Amino acid sequence: MAETLCLSDSDRSSSSDQSVPSRSNNRSLRIAEKERKKNEAEDSFVLALRYFSEVEAGTPVTGNDELDRNLAVVEKVAFSKGLSPEAISVLLEFAMSLRMGSSPCVRVLKCLIPASVVPQQAVVRAVVWLNVSKIPISTQVLFIKWVLTVFDLIDAKDQLRAIYGFIFSFITEENLCPYICHLLYLLTRKENVHLYRVRKLLELQSKLGRQPFLMHLLSLYKVFCPELVTLSIPSRIRSGFKNYISPWKSALVAVQKSNGQQVSSSISAAFTIKEKSISRKRKHCHLDLPALSSVLNKEPQSEQTSRRKMVPLVHLSSFAQMLKDMHRIELPAQMGSLLGSSLALQYLDCVQEESALLRLNFWLGCALHEEFLFCRQTSEEALQFLNNLLSAQHFLQEGFSSSDAFLYKFLNVWDGSLLRPQILGLLSNIPVIPSTQIGRLLFEPLTQLFFTSSMFFKCGLMECLNNMLLKWLTWHSVYALEDDLDISLNSHTSINITLSGFKDSVMELVHFVGRLASLGLQLEGCNTLLLSFILDFYETVCDTFLKFGLPLVVMPPPGVFYPALLATDPVSVDRLAYIMHRYKLNLTSAKSQEKQTEPQQAFHISRHTFRQFNHYLVFMVNCLWNCRMFHANTDMHVREELLHKSNVPQYWTRFDFIHHPAFTGYAVDFHQKCWPGKKDVDVNSIKQSKPWSWYLEYLFNQGFDGLKDFVHSSISRQVTAGDKLQDSQQR
Amino acid sequence: MDPLSESGMRTPHNGAVVQRRSKTRSYRQSYRSCLGTASRLGVTPALTARRLNASRRAAKPQNLADKVNPEHLALLVKAEWQLSYVTPLYQFRHTQLRSYSRQLAAFIVAEKQQGLAVEVSELHNSYRVSLSVVQGLTESEDDAETVLIQIHSKPMFARQDEPQRSVWSGWLTCVHGSPEYLRSLPKDFTCLPLFGSRGPEYLSRVVKSWFQKTFDCCFGSLEINHTSLQWFAALWTDCHSQSHIQHLRMLWTIPAAPPLQITYTVDPQDAWDLWNSVRKEATAAVTEDAASIDLEEVTGFLQALKSHFYRHFRLDLSAGTLQQVSTALGSAKSSGRIKMSNSRHVIATLTLLTECALLRMPI
Repeated sequence: MAETLCLSDSDRSSSSDQSVPSRSNNRSLRIAEKERKKNEAEDSFVLALRYFSEVEAGTPVTGNDELDRNLAVVEKVAFSKGLSPEAISVLLEFAMSLRMGSSPCVRVLKCLIPASVVPQQAVVRAVVWLNVSKIPISTQVLFIKWVLTVFDLIDAKDQLRAIYGFIFSFITEENLCPYICHLLYLLTRKENVHLYRVRKLLELQSKLGRQPFLMHLLSLYKVFCPELVTLSIPSRIRSGFKNYISPWKSALVAVQKSNGQQVSSSISAAFTIKEKSISRKRKHCHLDLPALSSVLNKEPQSEQTSRRKMVPLVHLSSFAQMLKDMHRIELPAQMGSLLGSSLALQYLDCVQEESALLRLNFWLGCALHEEFLFCRQTSEEALQFLNNLLSAQHFLQEGFSSSDAFLYKFLNVWDGSLLRPQILGLLSNIPVIPSTQIGRLLFEPLTQLFFTSSMFFKCGLMECLNNMLLKWLTWHSVYALEDDLDISLNSHTSINITLSGFKDSVMELVHFVGRLASLGLQLEGCNTLLLSFILDFYETVCDTFLKFGLPLVVMPPPGVFYPALLATDPVSVDRLAYIMHRYKLNLTSAKSQEKQTEPQQAFHISRHTFRQFNHYLVFMVNCLWNCRMFHANTDMHVREELLHKSNVPQYWTRFDFIHHPAFTGYAVDFHQKCWPGKKDVDVNSIKQSKPWSWYLEYLFNQGFDGLKDFVHSSISRQVTAGDKLQDSQQR
Repeated sequence: MDPLSESGMRTPHNGAVVQRRSKTRSYRQSYRSCLGTASRLGVTPALTARRLNASRRAAKPQNLADKVNPEHLALLVKAEWQLSYVTPLYQFRHTQLRSYSRQLAAFIVAEKQQGLAVEVSELHNSYRVSLSVVQGLTESEDDAETVLIQIHSKPMFARQDEPQRSVWSGWLTCVHGSPEYLRSLPKDFTCLPLFGSRGPEYLSRVVKSWFQKTFDCCFGSLEINHTSLQWFAALWTDCHSQSHIQHLRMLWTIPAAPPLQITYTVDPQDAWDLWNSVRKEATAAVTEDAASIDLEEVTGFLQALKSHFYRHFRLDLSAGTLQQVSTALGSAKSSGRIKMSNSRHVIATLTLLTECALLRMPI
């Protein structure tokens, strides 16, 4: 298709010319016009080519408008569509013959972008011109570079090989030598290797030194005829042929792409890239996922497997196919390769073979230990590897035991910043650890990290621990449901985690986070961001019973509760209200269940938890609602004289819904909306019954659903008859 | 909307442990099976960290020549080996060594040809590989038999009639491996955790890569740490009565500016006397198993050597690191190079090294 693009276009355009009138009946004039313009452009290209093929030698260059115009036309076509083989022949002939001197020669060479292939004949003729005409050395270099770039596109190489000796003779030209060597490297056959050529190369080597291009050519000669080259060649020569900047490469790629062809990169590029990947592989050999390949060493199979034909995992290409052959899939030679393919991961999800998983874990553990524990690194590969691992774990919704084992060791040496998101991600996948071990494995290293790291690490760790807890609870709820309750309170074996063991672990974790959170909030001055992450965690904790069916309720420590209640941003207070509301629901349903079930089977939520909850609740209601902030029976004992000394008027009302620093803004806003005319704002006027309920309604409308739930569930309003009426009207 | 009754159903009875269905028994770490599987798979070391044995039997000199093929023994001793650890080999069969040899030879040739533009016929027969079993180099019944790998080749520009020379050799071994660990592995796995190699680095790489591809195992370099080097110093000194150790030489590096390297050579008799003085109480205390050596004695021995050095040179070697220990019986370097010069003490050396290698197992 592409071959007929240029010179033969004349035929095509004439034929389309004929077809235009016949179709023009139903074609608009504009399209016809466009067609005509296109044909004109093609015509001008044909004319330009004709010009280059017929122009006489010695035609002056300067001031030659015709040449300029034609060159411009050719360049435009070359860079947009590429040149047909015929066009290349014509232009190359024109350039190398130096019919109009060397300056148009360079310009023509630079736009020789083949659309499809390069005719060998043209290249051979051009090489011959190299010797005949007086082409400047720089132009000669440019030409050889061009040949190297388009080498793969030359349609045949037999004639080029036939003039091997001729090309070899250019090797003495010092500037050309590297490129000629490269070209020879691509052309050499065994029959081309002769003693005199070896001698010539060695002679050159003694003159130029051990140049890589000479060494490469010599090493190839040595491969063909080791008896001729006695020189010892280092096993690895530093780099391939220099991948010089070729002016055509990008244009060539663009043209080929637009022509819809496969981009065939030049040999030189492939050569150097390969070299590079080898050297890189050597450095981080553990981080490369092995290729998915079938077992090399077929065992003399046991009769059971030999009866059915096994299908290697590599041969599967779709999920449907996998389902079809599910029973006879053969695992790959290296289990690590499963991590690289999503189809394989799907299979891994249902693999039951213990040794297969063990193989995978050996590989993974080894890679993690070698790369991250024994030598620290933050390369792109390391990042990629961990992200791969994370997405695999995410896919399987579970961690691998070897990565857990690795993390327990790694946490002790981690600085908290190396690959933080990845490590925290892996950490959140850790399965339940027995409460006897959890302190040593997890809490000790994490405590150290938490108190020595930045606020962002603290937030990240909170998020990670929240995810960990969520996963533990989800496991519990899934397996408790799935197995129809086979969790035993009194275990017969020490290795099984029982329900109470699980509860202990969860409790340890929640208490641990509580300690971290209290101190973290102190250290960071009750930072709102950190508080938000902590409240995230307690949103999980407060629902353990209702959402996950785990009979365990743990209250937040005062170090979390009070900072959240007295926070200056309304969102924190609102979320605390929501959390308290959920606690209430969980506790009441747990209590009602406790009454239903028989005493010895019932789980027990300690009275201390209830007392603590009530305590918090009373304080919260007193504070926000009843304006009795410093009531006698609270945690916050402030001496009366001290409060008086502070000169805060009506200090007991300072944290109600109106005066709470998080809500004053809303109170003032409400006041203005309620009494638009009033000049002096007296928010205390909201306290009256009617405005108070309006104000609450106003607050709830601001999106404080947590407060709404809290008020509805925890505060029984003593309303007057009128209020009630109004309430019912509003609903 | 009423999860209460449901969760009521979920409260546990006092019943016995019901076996989990096998579906969840894979690598899934549901909280019931998490530690169950883990301990079987040898994950527990993460939970209860594996340590180097704090006490070991003294190296009994063994006349291995009776048990082991003298040719193989000669190969093992007198050469320096670069050590690695290997995770257990999957589906390795000692009966298939002949076929493995062929495959490895073909693999080496294929690797050599990579990157060459043309096929070179000479390469095909240029490598001869032999894998063989070294009978008798085991100590307990859990140990797998040692495997010896030898690669023979002709030099690049050899004449036609020139014989092939051994260019690379290596072995995989397990001597006195921890029985709990070895028994915890499924029977598909062969644990030969210690790998020693000698020869060009690229061949080591190719051999390792073939093992990785064929037996799904992993290799990692095995450094000999400070404690293990101290053990070597003590174990070798302990042998002085049976075979003369010539000298006890230790190489220390001190982190000073400029870095200081100290070679500390002790007269064999002095070392022996010092060792005995450290040992004395221990032997008195233990009547039955007099041959066992405790870590305390080892550190005591080294401490005494260090304080002796301090008395003379006012330089505390505790600040530095022990890099190398050598006697006439062998030498061990922290970089993971070992030389066993006397065949009578090969077993003791390999036992300690096997232990080091097993410590490096990821799970």
